[in-house]
This record gives sequence, C-alpha cells and structure tokens, in this order.
Amino acid sequence: MKNPDYYEKLGFKCGLEIHQRLATSHKLFCRCSASLAEDGKIGEIERVQRAVVGELGVLDVSTAFESRKKRRFIYNIFRKSSCLVDLDEEPPMGLSEEALGIALLIASSLNAKIPDEIEPMRKEVVDGSDPSAFQRSMLVATDGKLLTNGRYINIPTIFLEEESSGIESSGSDAVNYNLDRLGIPLVEIDTDATISTPSEAKELAMRIGLILRLTGRVQRGIGSIRQDVNISIKGGTRVELKGFQEVDTMDEIIDREIERQLKLIEIRESLSRKAARVHEPKALTEIFQDSDAKIIKESIESGAIVLGFRLEGFKGFLGREVNPGRRLGSEISDYAKMAGVKGLIHSDENLDSYRFRPEELQAIRKKLDIKEDDAFILIAAKENVCKYAAELAKERAEYSLVGVPSETRGVDSRAGITRFLRPIPGGSRMYPETDAIPVEVNKKEYETIKSNKVDPDAIRSRLMKEIKNEQLAEQMLWSRDLQLYTEIVQKTGAKPATVASIILERFKEMKRSGINIESLHYDILIKIFSLFSSGSITRLGAEEIIRELPQSEKGIYSIIERKRLKKLSGDSLKELARSALAAEGDRNKVRKELMSKYRVSIDGEELNSILESMRV
Amino acid sequence: MYSEKIEKELARLGVKAGDKIKVVSGNAIEEGILMPRPEIGDNGILVIKRKDGYNVGIRFEGTKVEKTEENGNKASPPKKTYKEKLPSHLPKVKILYTGGTIGSKTDYLTGGVNVLVSSSELIGEIPELADIADIDFIEAMRIFSEDMTYKEWKVIAEKIADAFSSGARGVIITIGTDTMHYASAAISFMLQNLNGPVIFTGAQRSPDRGSSDAFMNLICSARIASESDIAEVGICMHQSSSDDACSFIRGTKARKMHTTKRDVFKPINNSPIASVSHDGRISYISDYAKMKDEPKKVVALTGYEPKVALIKITPNSDPTILDFYAEKGYKGIILEGTGMGHTAVLTQHKEYSWLESIKGAISKGMIIGMTSQCIYGRTNSRVYATARILSNAGVVYCNDILPEVAFVKLGFLLGNYKPEEARRLLDKNLRGEITERSEYDWFE
Repeated sequence: MKNPDYYEKLGFKCGLEIHQRLATSHKLFCRCSASLAEDGKIGEIERVQRAVVGELGVLDVSTAFESRKKRRFIYNIFRKSSCLVDLDEEPPMGLSEEALGIALLIASSLNAKIPDEIEPMRKEVVDGSDPSAFQRSMLVATDGKLLTNGRYINIPTIFLEEESSGIESSGSDAVNYNLDRLGIPLVEIDTDATISTPSEAKELAMRIGLILRLTGRVQRGIGSIRQDVNISIKGGTRVELKGFQEVDTMDEIIDREIERQLKLIEIRESLSRKAARVHEPKALTEIFQDSDAKIIKESIESGAIVLGFRLEGFKGFLGREVNPGRRLGSEISDYAKMAGVKGLIHSDENLDSYRFRPEELQAIRKKLDIKEDDAFILIAAKENVCKYAAELAKERAEYSLVGVPSETRGVDSRAGITRFLRPIPGGSRMYPETDAIPVEVNKKEYETIKSNKVDPDAIRSRLMKEIKNEQLAEQMLWSRDLQLYTEIVQKTGAKPATVASIILERFKEMKRSGINIESLHYDILIKIFSLFSSGSITRLGAEEIIRELPQSEKGIYSIIERKRLKKLSGDSLKELARSALAAEGDRNKVRKELMSKYRVSIDGEELNSILESMRV
Repeated sequence: MYSEKIEKELARLGVKAGDKIKVVSGNAIEEGILMPRPEIGDNGILVIKRKDGYNVGIRFEGTKVEKTEENGNKASPPKKTYKEKLPSHLPKVKILYTGGTIGSKTDYLTGGVNVLVSSSELIGEIPELADIADIDFIEAMRIFSEDMTYKEWKVIAEKIADAFSSGARGVIITIGTDTMHYASAAISFMLQNLNGPVIFTGAQRSPDRGSSDAFMNLICSARIASESDIAEVGICMHQSSSDDACSFIRGTKARKMHTTKRDVFKPINNSPIASVSHDGRISYISDYAKMKDEPKKVVALTGYEPKVALIKITPNSDPTILDFYAEKGYKGIILEGTGMGHTAVLTQHKEYSWLESIKGAISKGMIIGMTSQCIYGRTNSRVYATARILSNAGVVYCNDILPEVAFVKLGFLLGNYKPEEARRLLDKNLRGEITERSEYDWFE
C-alpha cells in the first residue's frame, strides 16, 4: 500500500462514473418490460450505421473510429422486452415517471440540485449498441456531494439515460446484440477528479453503490451496476477504464494503470532521445511465397497479403513490459486487432517460434531497411483489413513518441489488467432529442423526495438498535439482502436478530453447499418467517424449509408435514414432557432425548421452562 | 421562441441564441450557449447548452443573465466542405429534391432545417453514389408532402420530362413519405412515352442520424436509375426493417402502410418489380415495361381536375354528402366502399340509402368510381344485389385499383380528357394500376 504522498507527487487525478440500472416496471422511453427476456427471440434484423456530423458540425473521433470498422449489426428481438421504439422504427413514448422518481431520489441522496427543466438529449453511439445510433440521456441533477474518507467529494453531474443493448456475440464483420436490455433506465453518477488515492476511489465506489442499493429501487445482479474510472498522472493523459464488474480489485487495477502510464512515459523519454520514428508499411507478400511459417503460409493461401513496417530506433522497446504480461507490442497489437486481424508479429518476439527461414528474415530486413537498432512489425490479412490494421498499428506505434494515448480501456478483472477498446470520446456527440418533450421538474415534489432520501448512517443506527450486534448490523447494511431483511421484519414481526442471523449466516452456508436460495421468491420467504413468527414452526424448522424448498417440488406445507416440522409447543409439549419425565425421571436426560428426537420442532427454551416447572 | 418578456429582455441585453451566457440564480451558476426554445414546453425556461454537451432548462424569472461571449459556437470547426464533383463517365442520373425527411438536417443551434443543397454535398455525405452514377442534384421545391397538391405534381412531371430530354438515363425524386404514393401515381399517369426508370424515394429517419434509412434508399434508387432497364415509375424504399435490401414497387400499386417503419411502402395487389440489395444486386421479381431502343420523346401530360374527392363509406354514413360535393361543382367522386365495393342501397332506413344521391350526381354529369376499403383484393359488381344496383345506376367499378390511385387517376383523366372518355378509361389499365389476375402471395 503506497501512501497518499506518493499519489500526490505523481499528479494522480481520478474520477468515477457509476452506472446503475434502475428497477422499474418499464423501459425509459417505451412501455416494454424492463426485465431481461426469459423467452427466446422472435426475430432479428440487420442494420448498418454511419458516422454523421454532430450538432456542432464536428465528427467525433471515437465515432469516426467505430464507423471505419464498417461492421454489420444484428439485433435479436424479444416479445415482451423489445418493441418498435427499440428497433428505431417508432418515436419514443413519454419519459418513465417511475424512473425519473428514482433518479431524483438518488440525486437527493447525493445532495444534488435539480434543474427547472430536464432536456432529453441524444448522445451519439456508433458501436451499434443502439439501433437508433444514439442513446437518450438527460442531465437530472448537478452539484451533489458525498462525505467519504472524512471529506466531501463533489458529484457535479447525475444523468438518467437508456441502457445499451447487450452483446450476444461479436466478430470482426458483425456484432449480434440483444434488444431486451436496450432502454432499461440507467442512472449515471459522475464524481469530479479529486479522488486522491486508488483506495479512496474504491471506498467511494462502494459508498455510492451502498446508497444506490439502499434506495431499494435499483436492479441487482451481474451487470446491473458498472463502474468506470478516469485516471491521469503528470505527463500522461486521461484514460477511461470501463467495466469494473466488482469494486474489490478496483484499487489494484488503478495502480496497474498508473504503472502502465509511467512505463509509457519512460518509453517516450527514451525513444525521443534516440529520435526514433515509424516508417510507412510496405508489401512483403512475395517474400513468403514458400514459407514454412505456418501462420503466414496459411494466411497467404487464403488470399492474404503481408505488410510490414520499420520502427527506427525501437529495438527492444516493443518487448518492454508495461503491465504484467503486457508489452508495448501488445498495446500496438490491440489497435491492429480493431481492424479485424488476430494479432501481429514484431521483432522483439522470439521469431524462431514462427519458423521463419533465415533468408526470409534477411529479405524482410533488406526490404524494410532494418538497421541494428530498429524493430519491425508484420501483419498478414486480406488486403483491406491488412492495410487498415497496419495503419492503426503504425498510428499507435507513433504515439509511443508522444506518450499515453487518450483511450477507453476495458477491464479484465480476472487477469487484473486493462485493454484498449477505442479512443476516448470527445464532447461533440450531443444533440437534443427532438422527439421527446422537455420535462419540467416540480421543485416542491423534489422537497418531498428529499425528505425520504437515503441516509446510510441513519440506517446503520436503526439496524444496530434492531439486531443488537454490531458486526451483524454492519454486515446487514452492506448486504444485498437488506431489503429482504427489512420486509421480513416489517411484515412478519419476526425477531430482527434471528432474521439477520438466518439471512447473513445460514443463507451463506446454504449457498456454499449449492442450494439455490436465489430461486426463492420474496413472498415465499416472508411466508416462512411469518410461520416462524406466529409459532407454527421453530427457527430450525424455518431453516429446514428454506433448505428444502429450492430442491423440492413440494410446497411449504407439504415439507412441514413430511419432515414433521410443525412446532410442538404449549399443552402438547407439556404432555410430551410429562410422559417422558414419568418414564425417565431425570430432567437432563429427558431434555436430551426430546431434543434429539424433535430437534427441529421443539423450541429448546420453551422445553427448558416446562421441564423446570414440573416436579419429578 | 421564448416568452415575449424574455425575448425583450434578451434583446435588451444583446443576447441571441448561439451566444455564450452566464445565468446566475441564487447561489447556482450555469454557463453555456443559449439555445432556441423548442416549440413545446414552458417558454419561460431558458435552455442552455453546457460545456459537456447537455442541455439544461433554467427558469428565467429571478435570474441574472450575462453575455460572456458573442456566438459561443464560433470556436467549433467550420462546416464540412465537400470536394467538387469529379467528371464521370457513368450514366447520368438526376435527383429532384422536393422536401421531406430525406433531405432535412436539423440545425440544432438555430432550430431551423437545412437541406442538402448540391450534388457535391450529397456525394460528400453518400460517397457510394459517385461509383454508381453521374449524379446531378437539383432542388425543385422544399415542402412537406402533406402540403403537396396537383400543382406540384405538374412541376415534378415537367422536370422529369426535361431531365430525360437533356440526357438523363433515370430520375430520382426525393419526397416526403406521407403522400409519396399519391405523387408516384400522379406522375405515372402524367408521363407519356416514358423510357427510363423514375424512382420516388424518401426516408423515415432523417439523414442526420447514423441509423437513417436515407442512405440505403438513395443508393438503391441510384442503382435502379443507373443500371435497370425498367421504364416505369416506382417507389424504392426499405424492403424490411433491416438495412439489407430495398423494394422497387410500381408507382400505381404502392401504399404507405405504416406510420413510422422503414419498410413503410408495400405493394398492394401486386408484387414488387424488383429488389435491390445493399451491395447493389438487382433481382427482377415481376413483369415490367422495359426500355426501348428507339424511344419517343418523354412528355408530361399535366392537365388535372382538382374537383375530385375520395369518400370513405362507413356505417351511418350520410349520402347527402354527395349532394354537397355536387353543389360545390365536383366532377368526380371515388367511393371507398365496404367489401367488394358496397354502400347502403337496400336499407330499411331510407335516409341512409345512397342510391338517390348517386343517381342525382351522375345525372349532373359526375363520374362515380367504386373501390374497396379492404385495400387488398378486387371490387366486384356482380356478386351481391347491392353492387348490381349501384353498377346499373352508373357507378364505375374500378377493379383492383387502390382507392388513392383511383382518386388521382380520375383527377388526371378529367383534366385531360372529355368526361365520357374519362369515364371509359377509369376502369381500363393505363399504368399497371389494374391487374388481370390475382397472385397467391400478394396478400400474406
């Protein structure tokens, strides 16, 4: 763990963008179900999209980049969760008031201000994730702030927008999307870039996540919340890390990104000193007419060409590690891949493994004019793909002399690294959604919403009071099942400490032993706890039902009957105790015998007090 | 427009849309470019474009507005410039722009609508066109299609005839989709000796959107214009919701069948003439008039009688509406009858029988044509007594013509021929508007 001074010296700047899907019944701008489809698709359509000039007459760099890929987009259509609005075949319907209400609740919980009128906008997207080629988005609040780490971090903007389509599969010439996810309401929360350390970023992300969850009105499960992190250091540039599925490793990945930027800055320094430069690609196909190098040979046989270019003064640099297992060569290769090639070959690799002949290598060196201190890159693919890949690789290689490219990078949590996705989008992609009406916000209503805002500290004290166990209360606060706990306690009157203990401890054990607790509907769990609360079953009985239900075709009452879970209490327990005591005589022996026989249907405390009250 | 009060105050401050302003309200400050007020919503709320591109609305009352920069958008790069069109040896294709979504680009700063103005701009936006044809683009007019009348149809017909005379191989007309099928029918009748493809096309999504259908519609239209040997008027738009192919549908057999979808035009009682794939392959689907080697000069026969109406028959519909039209000097009426072409005549409610009004109108010299509101299928004057009575009274049964096409045709006939000739031609096929047989898959 590095200390805050370390980051300050680096000129570390960091801000978060948190995207959270809301739990609404309908999508943001149509009346489709906002749940992912459970049935199969009913059809598909195919579209192409073009880059168009934005509102201010500028073609955005990331837009142009996507558009150059010229991919086809195929959209899967679902009965209940996609409609003509999603297909860009019908204008949007009115804004979901339910979604706006939740967005404003979140805004108030983050102490933000709201505008007098919300203006729906179109934000251009050309990666195909929206058939309309834009995402509807609106600024719903500004100037929020949140206390973290003992100081306030500003939240300048909060947006309400449409979720994009989910990717079903992706190839170099086509991407297949599912339209069920498109248009689900999403709230984006942006912090300013004053986060001072990676661990503070993680803490803030967790805290915002907690507030969102505590509203009880956001979707849960994989992908329902996504964190993007913007990072820069002195001498580097802003890089956006996208797609943290969980916050656990956020600080480590941010540290990795700092490491990468530092390495790239180092490389720039060295290369500039040497006056390195990148030369134009040249055709090398004829060199490999009888090659033994399998990759190249097979490519040429299927109609590929080979391009190569000289990287003057780059020797050794392509092999420089920038992150564990990632070299400058991999960074360049990621760009080439965007054109649809599988990868590239560079001279800092072990070229023997490709089985090039010595005369081939010599011919490459001659043709590209490679000197002792130079490196080269080879790409084999169909002509237009190859040319584009070489162009992109060259662009990236040239940028090594400038430093850190401004990129959106995808997080690979498992490998603990990030990879280039696309250039960072500029600001020229917004224009008004002329098909939707501006929404006037009632300031009085916002005051009412504010009075219900989520306050984690208040909830923590409430839980402490109810559960009376600091550790369990804190766990409950952060638990995804807090809402379940609250509902059970409110609706059944069951003892909060017991409910918390079952949810936090027993559920965990059951999940570990492979029991699918998630399949139990809220209503069923509430029913079980009210049976417990009314004295029909014991705590162990309740746990037994919860354990049995997911793997049984029977209902609650059949399980109670079959497993003899009906609680023995009052007169019937007294009768049982009396006859046992008459036969045995020793209270402890009777207790032991009855408890082992009726473990799940007798409450131990009740049995004790009955036995105590009886004369032997 | 903002409220009068705001406009006045802004004028006093010398602030206009496009200027960068600072709005202070209480302790909140918002800075950005002042946008024009959308037509909808509260005109007491200022719309500001922030630096991050988002617009936000601030109630004007109680704020302090200050101009910080004249025309704050100045800093943005100049509008795209297009390379001059290069000389081409490809077939000459004329594009006539008349208005509609396909040529419109919203200027989000002024709120105004711009159109593509030149061939080079069009080719700049859709470079594929330059590989298909030698495109010449002219703006004939700029109107919404719902505002279009027979007067505009005349202009279009004349311009098409001129284009062919001056060497065009094909002509594309871009037009709003709402009344495209009326226009395509009118132009079908007006053009005589046609010897090349005439293509109506448009868009359901404006071309300032990356998802616009305009691009493929224009590319496919250019293919038909440049490469096909079709000598007919037709509509070329998306074949399905996908961007994979367009249909070329006969101009007298097309109908707008959806308010918003891309594949909005469907052939009715007909097959498409051809299908054009996005990569330019033309597949011919049904018979069509072919270009001739020694053509006659294309001329436009542009007479038109506007006093023709289309009346939809419904339960309870009042026959005296015909008397009203007769009084107004109408020369022809197309009825959109129920089923095979019916309206009440044998009813026990005398006041709802159309027979007397129809007889009266015909005796005054009006031509009454009968079509079907079923849209699909043929009218028939022999099966039911009602139709036999109407037919005997002089109603012309228009076979399988679409009601809208019969309406356009009757206006065309009355504008160019004597009434008895017009009446005779109404149920005779002139431009593929009447078919002789009904194929199985025309209605699916």
